[in-house]
Amino acid sequence: MAHAYTPGLKVSSWLDHRCKRMLPIKGDVLVEVGQEVDANDVVAHTEMPGDVYPVNLANLLSLPPSDVPECLVKSEGDQVKEGEVLAQTKGIFGMMKKSQKSPYTGTIETVSEVTGQLILRGPAIPIQVKAYVSGRVVEVLPEEGCVVETKGTYLQGIFGIGGETNGSIRMACERHDQKLTPDLITDDMKGCVVVGGGQMTDAAIERALQVGAAAVVSGGMDDQDLRDFLGYDLGVAITGSERKGITLVITEGFGDIAMAGRSYDLLKAREGCQASVNGATQIRAGVMRPEIIVPAGSDENPVSGSEGQVEGLLEPGRPVRIIRDPYFGVIGQVSGLPHQPAVLGSGSKARVLEVKLDSGESVVIPRANVELIEG
Amino acid sequence: MSDECFSPLFVKPLPRMKTQFTLPLSALATIMLAVVAVFSGLSNAQNPAGGIPAPPSEINAVDVDGDKGEAIEVYWRLSANDPSASAMPDLSTDTPAQVTQYTIYRRLADGTDEYTEIGTQTYGVTTFTDSNVKQGVSYIYAVTADSEAGSSAMTVMAYPVAAVMQWFDYEKSWMGLILLFISAFIIFYIGLARSGKELKVRQIAGLSAVDEAVGRATEMGRPILFINGILDINDIQTLAGLTVLSRVARTAAEYGATLEVPTARALVMTTARETVQEAYLAAGRPDAYQEDRIYYLTDEQFGYVAGVTGTMVRDKPAACIYMGAFYAESLILAETGNHIGAIQVAGTAMPSQLPFFVAACDYTLIGEEFFAASAYLSGDPQQLGSLKGQDVGKLLGGGLLTIGVIFATLEVIWPDMTSIKDVRQYIDGNILGSDGLTMTSVEKGSDQWFEELLQRQRDFELNQNALESGGIDA
Amino acid sequence: MSQATSHETIKIDTDKVKIILATDCGSTTTKAVFIELVDGVYRQTQRGEAPTTVEQPFADVTIGAVNSITEIGELAGRKLVDENGRIIQPATDTEGCDIYISTSSAGGGLQMMVAGVIAEMTAASAKRAALGAGAIVMDVISSNDKRRPHEQIQRIRELRPDMILLSGGTDGGTTEKVVELAELIAPARPQPRFGSEYEMPIIYAGNAAAQEKVGEVLDEGWIDLEMVENLRPVLERENLGPARDKIHDVFLEHVMAHAPGYDRLMNWTDAPIMPTPGAVGDILQQIAKDQGINVVGVDIGGATTDVFSVFDKTFNRTVSANLGMSYSISNVCAEATMPSVLRWVHFDMNERELRNRVKNKMIRPTTIPQSHEALVFEQAVAREALRLAYQQHKEFATTLKGVQQQRTVGDTFSQQVGGQTIVDNMALNLLVASGGVLSHAPRMEQTAMMLVDAFEPEGITKLAKDSIFMMPHLGVLAAVHPKAAMEVFERDCLVYLGTNVAAKGLGKPGKKCFSWELNGEGISESGEMNFGEMKLIRLGPDQTATITCDPARGFDLGAGPGKKMSGEVRGGTVGLILDGRGRPLALPEERAACKGAIGGWVDELELYPKVEEAIPATV
Repeated sequence: MAHAYTPGLKVSSWLDHRCKRMLPIKGDVLVEVGQEVDANDVVAHTEMPGDVYPVNLANLLSLPPSDVPECLVKSEGDQVKEGEVLAQTKGIFGMMKKSQKSPYTGTIETVSEVTGQLILRGPAIPIQVKAYVSGRVVEVLPEEGCVVETKGTYLQGIFGIGGETNGSIRMACERHDQKLTPDLITDDMKGCVVVGGGQMTDAAIERALQVGAAAVVSGGMDDQDLRDFLGYDLGVAITGSERKGITLVITEGFGDIAMAGRSYDLLKAREGCQASVNGATQIRAGVMRPEIIVPAGSDENPVSGSEGQVEGLLEPGRPVRIIRDPYFGVIGQVSGLPHQPAVLGSGSKARVLEVKLDSGESVVIPRANVELIEG
Repeated sequence: MSDECFSPLFVKPLPRMKTQFTLPLSALATIMLAVVAVFSGLSNAQNPAGGIPAPPSEINAVDVDGDKGEAIEVYWRLSANDPSASAMPDLSTDTPAQVTQYTIYRRLADGTDEYTEIGTQTYGVTTFTDSNVKQGVSYIYAVTADSEAGSSAMTVMAYPVAAVMQWFDYEKSWMGLILLFISAFIIFYIGLARSGKELKVRQIAGLSAVDEAVGRATEMGRPILFINGILDINDIQTLAGLTVLSRVARTAAEYGATLEVPTARALVMTTARETVQEAYLAAGRPDAYQEDRIYYLTDEQFGYVAGVTGTMVRDKPAACIYMGAFYAESLILAETGNHIGAIQVAGTAMPSQLPFFVAACDYTLIGEEFFAASAYLSGDPQQLGSLKGQDVGKLLGGGLLTIGVIFATLEVIWPDMTSIKDVRQYIDGNILGSDGLTMTSVEKGSDQWFEELLQRQRDFELNQNALESGGIDA
Repeated sequence: MSQATSHETIKIDTDKVKIILATDCGSTTTKAVFIELVDGVYRQTQRGEAPTTVEQPFADVTIGAVNSITEIGELAGRKLVDENGRIIQPATDTEGCDIYISTSSAGGGLQMMVAGVIAEMTAASAKRAALGAGAIVMDVISSNDKRRPHEQIQRIRELRPDMILLSGGTDGGTTEKVVELAELIAPARPQPRFGSEYEMPIIYAGNAAAQEKVGEVLDEGWIDLEMVENLRPVLERENLGPARDKIHDVFLEHVMAHAPGYDRLMNWTDAPIMPTPGAVGDILQQIAKDQGINVVGVDIGGATTDVFSVFDKTFNRTVSANLGMSYSISNVCAEATMPSVLRWVHFDMNERELRNRVKNKMIRPTTIPQSHEALVFEQAVAREALRLAYQQHKEFATTLKGVQQQRTVGDTFSQQVGGQTIVDNMALNLLVASGGVLSHAPRMEQTAMMLVDAFEPEGITKLAKDSIFMMPHLGVLAAVHPKAAMEVFERDCLVYLGTNVAAKGLGKPGKKCFSWELNGEGISESGEMNFGEMKLIRLGPDQTATITCDPARGFDLGAGPGKKMSGEVRGGTVGLILDGRGRPLALPEERAACKGAIGGWVDELELYPKVEEAIPATV
């Protein structure tokens, strides 16, 4: 085991967060350094080259490909509309001419003598990049994008579905371990980020979708419900491009697990504030976790005292979350760090640590199976 | 489609059995008998004889079963002077009374006419079929044994007989049952196919090879040549070939290969064009369809072959596919294709051409495989279902054949085992023969048969009399 | 090794080499091994590990490499790296090394897109060339992949390959189709992974007659077009060597040059840096050639499973993306279905709860099974992942398609289609396992059983595992110093688990499958195997013995159905496994019977400790 622990998810009441807002291809950046932006402001835009449609003129006109260029009515670079004549054959003595109309609107990009193919480029697709979080532009990368900085509460979830969205935080559950059931979601939660406690049930997701909530955040969910919601069994944890109309974020894992009390309290403290949520998850080299960002108002001051511990160090007294069965989702404190590897129930030898659970019980867990709760 | 043309042992002949085979057979028998009669007459001519033979000892007649009342079978016992009557006929001695033939006479039972000769039968034979009777009319038959010297006295039937129409011919009951059984399976499988159940059709190598052949043509930048046989559209093989063409065209459209279809019939060209166009449409490449590539050459068999081989040698197609009815041109085409290094797939139901295709082509769909491929490709529940149903028939036929062979062999090994003989006879006589469902029937013309028949006729008479007298009493 | 031919390799006097240092820069860890000449033979003596440093904040792969080498240096008591962070070469008595080599799969390895005219023909050959060179094939574009041209263009756009291999057409064959493919690539303008200044290398290995026209179409500023010989000059023959070599060249010149720190690393090494899987393929080919055997190797990782095979000197490699034990574990369960996974488990488990556990492993990929149940379940998943990966491999490793067949009338009823698999489990001699779940299993018996269950070897098959995943290092070493590579491979790299003897065929449970007689040094045993039984005979790592098997009717152990066969078996950490379960391996459909059967095998092979023996997790 190269790593003695798994880096935990960031849960912080006060964090300087920088978001890189990049265009997929070069374009125009619309903001300047120092500018205050709102989550929904467009910061950069560009036009993506349109879709490409090949039209095989040689076949359509029954011509050898080499004759295609001389039959063209339009030339390369011309704009054509759907239905406009692209090419016409010479016919016999000027009679029996055959012509071919353009099936799409676009620009003629190339015409090939080898294949008799005409490549038509559809109209450009405009792409706009929004600020996503409210904050201040701290850096502009010419033609490519910008960096928006915001200060406020920042939470990483473990897994999410759906892309970027934002709305004001509404607490649906009263406790961090209360199940999110449909009756807790009310019609006035339209456009809000609904925060639950424990497991989000499929009925609750259905209800949230119905009232038009922007996002649902809760402790856990059942795999079966996820499958029902997506319509397929998720094979690899690469998400974010789903078009379900809602963004879901779970903070702890699959199953009936309560949201960590600290995360719940943080969100509760910011109830009513605007939050930006992104469900995109990518668990590969270069991990990406879903996130919830609640920018602080300009008059707010940092909550001091939260950065008590040095980040990333496993030491007695640190809060950890157990992330593997049989104690999945249980939170406790490191109580001992034996040096020697121990034999596990599975028969494997691994480096372990002792964790004192909140219930007072002490258990031995492989170091790979805990994560730090970072603050 | 396929059950019309190439079907398992038992399926096809059944419907025709009654209408075609029974009648010509009896006609044939009559001719043969006549021939035999002539020969026997000749041989007897060399032995001048004297004396009158003894008459046949008994005569009876029955209505022929399973017909529409147009024939009566007459049976008699051989005359004592019949050369076949004794176990070792002594033909060398010139017995004047030696029977050369029997003459059969008939009169109406109501006695309105006299005995007229209706035919003769050679010696040694004891039956005659009178097919010139009126339905429902009772006749009385008589028979004389004839020799060179003259005819014996008439032996006359004791009871009249009439030809009656039967609704069913029970002789082929077994065939009927088997037919019903197979039809039921066909219908069952068609239903199954319709309900969306996947009917498994064995993977046919020749069919999977189509993708390969088309792929090869695409990679090599050469055309695919498809020959739909040389018969017209009304031939079932041409139709099956068109189903395969549809598949080839679809693959060609997907792969972007060029497909060339020279035809020998104008109608086939039109149908092929439709088929290919549809396939290109289905593949989502209607723009790639080139009508000019499907053309008519000539109706002349060898003119067509010359045209096609010319194209083959010039264009060097990378794949040649032959699907349809072929005659002498099969080897010319396949050999040329082989020579130009093309992947060749052939399919035909012409048994005489199959060996050539097998030897010269990469893959061959043999006989029924060709129709199976067509059914599989079309995905038509009717075709698939009948394919599957017929398999049951083939299975049944194969099973029966095996059992029959086993019992026939056993019978030779243990000739005395009656049970083995019975089973063999039953298969032979009842299932395959014309004895219907009844287990043991008394052989017609035997002593027992005469007795039983006479007894029946007497019983009938007695019953009639009793009824009549009873009726008067009442 | 053909790979080395096109590179400038420093001439090394192989006789004088005493110290060899090799590193493999993986995506998460950099592993270094240290090979010394001990008493005339090369032995691997030390190993070191350090996190790979390709990504921020370090962004220099050499830091990780030096860290791992420093660890070795400390263990070996030898100074390997000087004050400037450079490897000391050549070796003196106390410092440095003679040869330094390295492989790399950092940053996701070499990612390629390939294109060919027909998916089963030139495109398949192109894929084989790319996979054989050690690449990950992201997608295969072909004229018949059922996608509309604009969909293909869309796909090319979305991919961010490191390079593209374009092939198609036989020499003198189709030009049109190949140019069409080029016409798809040119407007799509795929974005490379490394910055916009990067020129996209495109290797053209198709119809030689189309080179000029393809060149015209792809004559764009952002493309670096390389032409090599056609990889399928005629449909009957493949010529993958030139394309494979070119891929390695381009990998070094373009891809590696853009990865942080690789320019320095390339200067240090005595042989070109190879993609890790390419090196593994090389060493397996070398073994197969040297010993004249058929080999299958498997490397099961967190996200992907690589299968390598050498049958009759033909090498094939497949990468089953999305079949892995952590990132892809959920996908394995989805593809194989839960009941298929659970049939390998000899006790009952709650399926709904398991589903959640699987997803939790997916989102926290680094966790390890703590309880006995979790281990059994994870190994069940591994069996299915391996089985599926091997199935994909079998489908890919085939004879060539599109070949004209020569027939005689005798073939009438036995027409075989081209493209049959060349993988033959009966002909397989050696099965090598590597990857976490296999090499870190608490008991070797578990590793052996996972291999036997998933690969279903037939006849006599040796089972081995790669002790510390050293095959990549040895693959590169084989190019520079084949003798050292082979010696280390035999002595230190492979840990022999034992030999599996299995009969092909099916029968009734309890009926005789085969009788056997084992004779060797200190061992003389005989017995009879019934169908559905397994037996483990302990045979030490250095022990060999001769087994003679007499199969019952319908069973085949290599000599033909029902024929007597004998052969040599090699012992190992597990021993000799006699497998009377028949092939293809079929587990009882009914759950209770299946549970019973698996339970019996588990007991016979002592796979898992009895439940009461299991050490409680609490203290």
